[in-house]
Amino acid sequence: MPVIPVAGAERFANLPASPEETRRIVGDSLRLHDVDQATVDALDPLTYEVIRHRLTSITEEMGEALKRMSGSVVVTDCNDFDAAIMDEVGDVVQVGLYNTELAASLDMAANWTLRERCARPGIGPGDMFLCNDPWVGGGLHQNDVSLFAPLFVDGELFCWTGAVAHQVDLGGVSPGSWSVGGSDVFWESLPTPPVKIVEGGEIRTDIEDVWLRRSRVPKLVALDLRAKIGANNVAHERLRALCEKYGAGTVKAVMRRTMDDAESRLRAKLRELPDGSWTSVAHQDSARSGDRGIYKIVLKLTKDGDRLVFDFTGTDAQVDGLINCTFAGLRGGIMPVVLTMLCGDIPWACGGIYRCIEIISESGTINNATFPAGVGKASVASAWATMNVTTECLAGMLDTHPEHRKRLMSVCCGTWDFALLAGVDQRGLGFVTMLCDSMAGGLGARSDSDGVDTGGLAPIPMGRVADVEMNEFAFPMLYLWRREEADSGGPGRFRGGVGASSCFLPYDSPLGGVHLVVSAPGKALPLANGLSGGLPAGTQHDVLLRGTDIAAQFAAGRIPGSLAELSGSTDLLPAHHETDLGPDDVYYTHWQGGGGYGDPLLRDPVAVAADVVAHKVSPRGAEEVYGVVLDADYATDLDATTTLRAALRRSRAGVDDKEIPA
Amino acid sequence: MSVFIDENLEQDDAGLVSCRHCSARVGVAADPLRDARVRESAPRTAGPSVRAEASNFTDREVVFRQAFCPECLTLLQAEIVPADEPSFRIRSLKLVGA
Repeated sequence: MPVIPVAGAERFANLPASPEETRRIVGDSLRLHDVDQATVDALDPLTYEVIRHRLTSITEEMGEALKRMSGSVVVTDCNDFDAAIMDEVGDVVQVGLYNTELAASLDMAANWTLRERCARPGIGPGDMFLCNDPWVGGGLHQNDVSLFAPLFVDGELFCWTGAVAHQVDLGGVSPGSWSVGGSDVFWESLPTPPVKIVEGGEIRTDIEDVWLRRSRVPKLVALDLRAKIGANNVAHERLRALCEKYGAGTVKAVMRRTMDDAESRLRAKLRELPDGSWTSVAHQDSARSGDRGIYKIVLKLTKDGDRLVFDFTGTDAQVDGLINCTFAGLRGGIMPVVLTMLCGDIPWACGGIYRCIEIISESGTINNATFPAGVGKASVASAWATMNVTTECLAGMLDTHPEHRKRLMSVCCGTWDFALLAGVDQRGLGFVTMLCDSMAGGLGARSDSDGVDTGGLAPIPMGRVADVEMNEFAFPMLYLWRREEADSGGPGRFRGGVGASSCFLPYDSPLGGVHLVVSAPGKALPLANGLSGGLPAGTQHDVLLRGTDIAAQFAAGRIPGSLAELSGSTDLLPAHHETDLGPDDVYYTHWQGGGGYGDPLLRDPVAVAADVVAHKVSPRGAEEVYGVVLDADYATDLDATTTLRAALRRSRAGVDDKEIPA
Repeated sequence: MSVFIDENLEQDDAGLVSCRHCSARVGVAADPLRDARVRESAPRTAGPSVRAEASNFTDREVVFRQAFCPECLTLLQAEIVPADEPSFRIRSLKLVGA
């Protein structure tokens, strides 16, 4: 059915507000700490650097606190969370090096809270606000739950800290809140606008009950709530100590200068690049189970002097399904790429960096969806696709500059290959978890080197993948393998990093099997495109084998090493699917690598041979795509390679009789 | 003075875009691949990285679209996209002094 407008939803359709506008709205209801420009200007460089680096380390400590208290493998072993320090109006002073996509809109949530909650119920010392409403901000979809806390110094709201993490289940039709059959948000987890869940340092049990009641794993979510409280408490303890040592005015001056510095340094970098525009597109196949459509996000990036304009005009309208994202998700698709590709040598103070950026986007599109569009998969759907198209455009811009082109990277991984398991674990307890194996995606190729094989995901600098043994310990599953897959990296003069696959079966559940939710596009077409003639990475590939002879093979002491070694029926899974796995069923999931850079026929043949030896490229790929002829020992036959490459150069262009300049 | 657009293309002061490998004219600033040789083929001709036929998952035709230098046939751009869509991958450097 079509999405029907909901009266009053516009109140939550949050857009960033300026500090001046925020202060005007807050008025006399709350005293906001401030510092004048003279204090900022008077900072000595040494004090500035000491305090700035202390702020950075505090976000790292927040992450450590979160990991130590959480019981979710997604957090403890995969770092799917982030933390940030914001100023008194919510502008981000420092974002952590974890999942920057999650934290890209923490500022919007804190700022909305300031504007909407300052009068009633009020904001005071020891309060913390929880939010999982993607229209307000704080995360990309409902599973990204943020908890942000105002820090008061001498009776004034000095700053905010925030922690955000993926929660494995917050209700909705399907386990994991990943309702692949859904058409709008009412199939999904209930979005919760900012609510004061901690008041004066104490958890409000009535609010917590409302919060946890929706989840299939409330104890795990309760633990994550405490982990985020702990992260904020650690930050507040450190920030108070900093204020006591240096004075609140000095610390705030450092916050101001950090954002100013990030802005001015990014503007300086942009001025070194030629003006122009770069347009690209990112696709997604399937919006929900049963859907065979392909949807696009179009971006025209214009660089003019020292500013960037991201114009998404031409993007498809929002769709029935779960792949849309809100404006917060759109920002979550932009900022991680700006940080990693443009700001490697600049403070990650998003509050200053956003000043260099203008966003043009039409409300009601798949990456700026209106309530009640389905957004349950936003983080790895339209927000991720926004990241892909941003990557292509920013990389194209950097490619024009002899020095800055060394910082570009092709699209990484394409999307997150989502596989979720739910049921009863080996201890007899209910469980839900998303498998984070695809955290080991292939990174995109660069202008001077190959992408890192199974190197991670571009927006999560400190992303990790849980050990196979950890997953087997925590959940009723048994791996046959997890390994890199040949040819999954985009071919190019510099090859995209390869992705990988996992193959596993349900194991040791009292129910005999587990429930499986699959949400993995990139099957009809690859999502990680290449650059400068580099080819896209491989497609996503998920296969379900039913009724295999796996038990008999185990009994005989054999561990199958390929799908061909297993009997049973084979189902090629669509992008969105939900089913049960029985004890003899085996699931194979193969996620994407990174895009390539440059014409594959220009790749050093010796590098191709090394790739074949290392199983990064198959012999077939070496011959058909790279035009490299290898002998039986995988040594390169250079003469035959030259001949083959000349022939390929003509045949792939459809000109078999053309003379090619030497 | 010319500026590089990417690994394969450069643009001169007049806005003419040429191949960095063979100097052949490929396009102009507003449309750097205007004169490139474009070829479309089935996605699986991109190589073994495309694991399955697109028709398993979508009813739209999907193509492997490549743009080549018209002279040396260096691959300038590659994409796998719905056949009914134009290429959205366009770059345009502002002319110096414009």
